[in-house]
Amino acid sequence: MTEPAIAIKGLTYRYRGTKKNAIEAIDLELEKGEFLVLMGPSEAGKSTLAACINGLIPHFHKGKLAGDVIVYGKNTREHTVSQMAEDVGLVFQDFEAQLFSTNVELEIAFGPENFAVPREEIAHRIDENLAYVGLSDFRNRPPSTLSGGQKQKLAIASVLALRPKVLVMDEPTTDLDPVSKMGIFEITDRLRRRSDLTLLVVEHETEEVLKANRIALLKDGQLVKVGPAREILQDIDLIESLGLMPLGIARFYRSLGFSDLPLTPDEAVAAYKEAGLTVVCAHHEALAAEEKRAAAAQAAKEPLIRCRDLEFTYPGGVTAIAGISLDVFPGDMVAIVGQNGSGKTTLAKQFNGLLLPTGGSITVNGKTTKEQGIFRLGQSVGYVFQNPDHQIFSETVFDEVSFGPRLRGLADDEVKARVAETLAAVGLEGTEAEDPFSMTKSGRQRVAVAAVLAVKPDVLILDEPTTGLDYHEQCSMMEMVKRLNKQGSTIIFITHHMWVVAEYARKVFVIKDGQLLLEGTPREVFAHEQELLEASLRPPHFIQFTNRLGYTMLRPEELIGCTEGGAG
Amino acid sequence: MESELYLDYGTPYHRLDARTKLIVFLGVFVGALMFKNPIWQLPTAALVLLQVAVSRSWRNLYRIRFVLLVMSVSSIILWNFFSSGTTPLFWIFEVESMFYAINRTMTILMIVSMGVVLISTTRNEELIMGMIRMGLPYRVGFAVSTSLRLVPTVASSLMTISQAQRSRGLDLETGNIVDRLKKFLPLLVPVFISSIRNTNIFGMALESRGFGARPDRTYYLQMRMRATDWVLLALLLLYVAASIWLNIAGYGRIVGLTNF
Repeated sequence: MTEPAIAIKGLTYRYRGTKKNAIEAIDLELEKGEFLVLMGPSEAGKSTLAACINGLIPHFHKGKLAGDVIVYGKNTREHTVSQMAEDVGLVFQDFEAQLFSTNVELEIAFGPENFAVPREEIAHRIDENLAYVGLSDFRNRPPSTLSGGQKQKLAIASVLALRPKVLVMDEPTTDLDPVSKMGIFEITDRLRRRSDLTLLVVEHETEEVLKANRIALLKDGQLVKVGPAREILQDIDLIESLGLMPLGIARFYRSLGFSDLPLTPDEAVAAYKEAGLTVVCAHHEALAAEEKRAAAAQAAKEPLIRCRDLEFTYPGGVTAIAGISLDVFPGDMVAIVGQNGSGKTTLAKQFNGLLLPTGGSITVNGKTTKEQGIFRLGQSVGYVFQNPDHQIFSETVFDEVSFGPRLRGLADDEVKARVAETLAAVGLEGTEAEDPFSMTKSGRQRVAVAAVLAVKPDVLILDEPTTGLDYHEQCSMMEMVKRLNKQGSTIIFITHHMWVVAEYARKVFVIKDGQLLLEGTPREVFAHEQELLEASLRPPHFIQFTNRLGYTMLRPEELIGCTEGGAG
Repeated sequence: MESELYLDYGTPYHRLDARTKLIVFLGVFVGALMFKNPIWQLPTAALVLLQVAVSRSWRNLYRIRFVLLVMSVSSIILWNFFSSGTTPLFWIFEVESMFYAINRTMTILMIVSMGVVLISTTRNEELIMGMIRMGLPYRVGFAVSTSLRLVPTVASSLMTISQAQRSRGLDLETGNIVDRLKKFLPLLVPVFISSIRNTNIFGMALESRGFGARPDRTYYLQMRMRATDWVLLALLLLYVAASIWLNIAGYGRIVGLTNF
């Protein structure tokens, strides 16, 4: 056997100041040229393991390390991160913070410069790597003007410029829209074919890891299972038990009693035909008709938020909203989707008066946002920002959640009751005395939601409530939102997660370049795959599969109810 | 939303070598300190304004207008206290000390403006290169430019955070000074935390790309002094020499001023 590219032996690590090992007794070997995906729920130790490969652990993060990581014969204990950089490239999740140059060219040059690569050779590597990731036309642009997906591509190019033998990517697509994600996975796909590069990617999205050679599942710092990608993805029970998202297609076929489960839309369509299955048209029509009736009943109400030809141009001259007309009705559960930078967030900020229109009109409860002002409007329209850390500042959960009610002059008793009530609503009852900063990301997210809910707004806007959470946390976050909606709150959420839209939204607005491209129920919207693609969106694999059958179905259960015939 | 300090306008001033810009900055700094009389300060002020105009840096100056205003007012008051004259003006102020205070304020504003011109027209990497070529070690140049780089990052997170808190009903516009300062707490804690986090990732990204891996490094960016650079430096030399000579010869002072 040849020497492995990466050998991890008995690796255990504990961050300084914590009581639990972040990873424990990990043994793993990666062959040269292999593509391994690391999956697991939040706090499983995925990022910790990734940081061990290039020596950030133990050199950058201080803590207790046992065991060894050997990359192409180099032990990370004996080489600094900078010295490892020639062999191991690391791409981070946060595409903003890892870029630091003022133009694209110089960003790529930075690595080779540090290794005293001659100038002509650097020029060559810039050309080569920009072409590789498809950014050749952007070489003189400042990275800050690139889109999220382009920034992440640039980060990959800048690491590849060092010609590493191993590339580690830590959730490179978490903050990206579906098509930007595809762009990154397309690059990953080319990288995996290279025999000179060993690829280790930490990833949440089950649909995207099909091309990996192997998947390693991690939970509570321990390796649960390592195996061929297909084999792991077909093990739905295992995936679900780890709190990861099982593939919809696989779930569907398992319910039909298949043993060799199809995984991709292509395989699914082929298997459907081969098994002689057909869709009962009437059942599908009944589903759509029911949704239509519900939508019509909503539309008969007086709208809560009404936009007419809404326009917004930033002081710098960038037009973010170019004429949007839409209505949000009381009790709606609305998803706003679109590419990074399409204007979704700018639109949502109009709803609570953070930004005021530069053209057209917007009214909330019949009055324009301008006459109400942000302070008064904040009472009826609550806004939960994407990053809970931009919001939380108190030492206890109680102080944080009571901030809004107190500002609005509520009496102490009432504040206490409100806090208890809202904490119960977000599933954090009894945590009043806890320190929000010591909670997990999903815990902090909930505190942020509670803090906004505590003033009892009519409308709750959530900006990417599921980003950065694992599947299990995403589900429980959205179940909570659904509950709030059932209790009467109107919900508007911005998201990149198409499955969340399919599962939870009742109405979808698709935004592209500051305009409304599509609107309708998830079923109606996801039927328009081509238009969605223009907006850099793509339905989940399962829906793509049903679209190819000629019907749009949102969940495996729906298709099961509509399927007839065959041996299954 | 634009929070970068560098203004990508491509004016002739932008095209100057970073070294030239650094030397001009230092030259004007020296020149501005040579005179105590605000009238004598006017030529330097004109010189600074000319550079602001040519480089189109006023946008950045406009952005920091409140800082400039606060600085000017406090400087006028302070320098009045730290000097005294012979001709009473009003209350406790004298004509001479007022003149002197105006002069000092002008000096501060000019130096700040020159700094703004420098960073508005010079990319971070050029600034590092300029400093290295003038003899500073790479790490020092990098540290200076990194702290400059931090400004837009902190500014943009401050903006997001203030939006988040205003959405929750935080009202920063009303109340007395103490109230307002207390109200800033919901902004400062998250800004602090997100800055630490960003700096942490920045540090990791730097090392992961081999920062300081070798004792020597190469530079992709190339710099060349052009004819305009040399002409400008010659003019600057004249200006500095003239200022120093005038100072030694006793011009530009305020008669009857005592300063501490």
